[in-house]
Amino acid sequence: MTTKRGDTGPTPGGRGRFDGYDVLREVHRWDDETKGVVLARLGPVPAVSFFDVREEAAARALLDRLLSQDAEPRIPVLEMVDARLANHVGDGWRHEDMPEDWDAWKQSLAALDKESDLVHGKRFCELDANYQKAIIESIQNMKGDWHGLPAKHVFELWVRYALTAFYSHPWSWNEIGFGGPAYPRGYKNLGIDKREPWEVPERDAHDPVPWARRVKGAQDAHRSGSPGPSGTLPDNEFDEGRGGRDVHEDA
Amino acid sequence: MRRFGSEARVRERNESAWLLPAEGDVHTNHALRRDMRTYDFDEEVDVVIVGCGAGGGTLAQRLARKGWKVVVFDAGPWWDPDRDWVSDEHGSHHIYWTEPRVIGGGDPVKLGNNNSGRGVGGSMVHFAGYTPRLHPSDFRTYSLDGVGQDWPIAYEDVEPYYEDIEAELPVAGEYWPWGKPHRYPQSPHTIGGNGMAFLRGAGKAGIEVRVGPVAISNGRFGHRGHCIYRGFCLQGCKVNAKASPLITHVPDALAHGAEIRPSCMVSRVLVDARGRATGVEYFHDGVEHRQRAKVVAVAGYSIETPRLLLNSACSLFPDGLCNDHGYVGRYLMVQGAPQTAGRYDEEIRQYKAPPPEVSTEQFYETDPTKPYKRGFSIQCVSPLPIVWAEHVAAQGYWGEVLREYMRDYVHWSVFGALCELLPRYENSVTLADERDRHGLPVAKFDYTMGENDHQLIEAATHVMEDIHHGAGAAEAITIQRYAHLVGGCRMAATEREGVVDGDLRSFAIPNLYITDGSVFPTQGSANPALTIMALAARAADRMRAP
Repeated sequence: MTTKRGDTGPTPGGRGRFDGYDVLREVHRWDDETKGVVLARLGPVPAVSFFDVREEAAARALLDRLLSQDAEPRIPVLEMVDARLANHVGDGWRHEDMPEDWDAWKQSLAALDKESDLVHGKRFCELDANYQKAIIESIQNMKGDWHGLPAKHVFELWVRYALTAFYSHPWSWNEIGFGGPAYPRGYKNLGIDKREPWEVPERDAHDPVPWARRVKGAQDAHRSGSPGPSGTLPDNEFDEGRGGRDVHEDA
Repeated sequence: MRRFGSEARVRERNESAWLLPAEGDVHTNHALRRDMRTYDFDEEVDVVIVGCGAGGGTLAQRLARKGWKVVVFDAGPWWDPDRDWVSDEHGSHHIYWTEPRVIGGGDPVKLGNNNSGRGVGGSMVHFAGYTPRLHPSDFRTYSLDGVGQDWPIAYEDVEPYYEDIEAELPVAGEYWPWGKPHRYPQSPHTIGGNGMAFLRGAGKAGIEVRVGPVAISNGRFGHRGHCIYRGFCLQGCKVNAKASPLITHVPDALAHGAEIRPSCMVSRVLVDARGRATGVEYFHDGVEHRQRAKVVAVAGYSIETPRLLLNSACSLFPDGLCNDHGYVGRYLMVQGAPQTAGRYDEEIRQYKAPPPEVSTEQFYETDPTKPYKRGFSIQCVSPLPIVWAEHVAAQGYWGEVLREYMRDYVHWSVFGALCELLPRYENSVTLADERDRHGLPVAKFDYTMGENDHQLIEAATHVMEDIHHGAGAAEAITIQRYAHLVGGCRMAATEREGVVDGDLRSFAIPNLYITDGSVFPTQGSANPALTIMALAARAADRMRAP
């Protein structure tokens, strides 16, 4: 196994499985319109304008937990969601038992602090990550009403905005090995186990750690508490240097 | 190649592909747009068409060819693939209809990027590209299976139009053994990892599959280029390989004198005291205008068409146009569209190649040994990262588990089913209390499934799991979702059963037509775009000169 030291593009929390891969190395082969849209996500982060400070604190913690963003570099998901909501960029529908997305975000973040106060006597942002996750999980599993909103639809709203922001960012593409924009270049090597010259294999070609074991490890890590300050997860037991390892650790 | 499918024959009846620029870097004929014929508001044109998607775009081309004076409105922009579309999921948000709508019912159906386009080209701008035909049985589900409703026309009535449209798109695929067996004008495409997993698994599971049918040009067609297998079909094809009316019908319509008016939101169909349509009222740049016309054709698709008819209520039609018998907005349908992902040790890298590759219709028809009626089809789907993340999150995963599944993206292959959910009166578009920025009441879409629907979705999910396991997948995970929209203004034999007749002419207003997917009485398990185009082409043939 070789790591192309210094060649790997940034990944959220410095984690990933594709050593030496940087989707942005292909930027010169993208069309200008696509370049503009994608590279804008790497530009200066706009100031928060939709959430008030209290909402911002709750939303940051919530989004970090939903996406397991526990270390730098972080994809600025909070700012991306804030900008969408400030501009009322919805998805073209709302549930009849929910307000418009922007109002639903404000209401549900207030409810998150209220819930946190009821259970722990603290704001959501002040809780340990484990307690935060426990509250999120309780909402996920709840049927019916939660502080005046349907719990299921609130949870889905949070996840939908979180995923759209996170997986639109090229750093997340580096983490998952996605080829990114493909025009006007296109693809030449189609098929199982086929790669373009600029695509890179995973850290190990043969998956010595079975997939099921990696998932088990991730589930354990999800339950076992917040990752350490370095952002590395307690993953060595299941990971054997793969799944969650810091690709920059020896850079 | 069959005679009707030859390029020369296509060019004789629809020159669109030859009206696009021949050289590589520019994909829009700007001169054709600039020199477009225009009509005055006060001029009574022969027809105004509301919506320039599969139905409206095809109708415009056919009627312009007949010499009609045609004006087509679309609420969205007139796209330039070079400037307006990008190879990016989130950056393509603007190609979907994202104005406010409300969803409800027992099984609410998400709209927006799931099924609602905007702009010239309509939802075919973002459709994957699958263009299967309906089966002959789809036109007679009530007679054959005691469910749904029979169409007032038969497969044979639509068949010649299927052949014409397939040649004009053009459609690539293997010889098709299901429904009424037929060939396609172009040979099947090369497939990627996802399609290969599908073929391998289906072979092991004893399921017949075929490559195609997709409206993506396999080779040069007119001045349109070959597919480059970039995988962003759902974000708009920048190559002009994937068909949409923007490139398959609008150029020829322009060449025959049609006017396209983009960014015009039609707010009302106007009706005179004798009960005849006289034109439309619409907003452009914030200003309200009227256009007079001898015939009005509404082609806004299953949500906006009923909404427009309901919003056009007047003293003669107090419950909305064509709604005397209460069918406008009723029997709206979506297909049950579970997607099942399988995890492979090998790298699939499903983002390479178009998402539509391979499909099976082996389970399409009613199987007398099963407790449910009608059936489903199964196709490759190949989600990009955001949609794949939604698939993972649908398992209840978030945080570290979500990230781990996502890091494994290159190992997953995804198939999707289209289940024929049955039409129900309660599944409807009505007007909500809230209004959009034009001051128009927004659509409320209620949807609830029945028992047969649940059984079909479960059966389809099992088959997809079988294919994955046959192909060697260690794990399979499914997301429940819906696809497509049809119905809402169904065609019928009499006005007591529907809104329009088999020629898509409304029963209530003799010079008002509905030429989009909302006229389907039932939906089969086929993607609807091809049938919408074929029905519009047929309606154009049968419209009398005004």
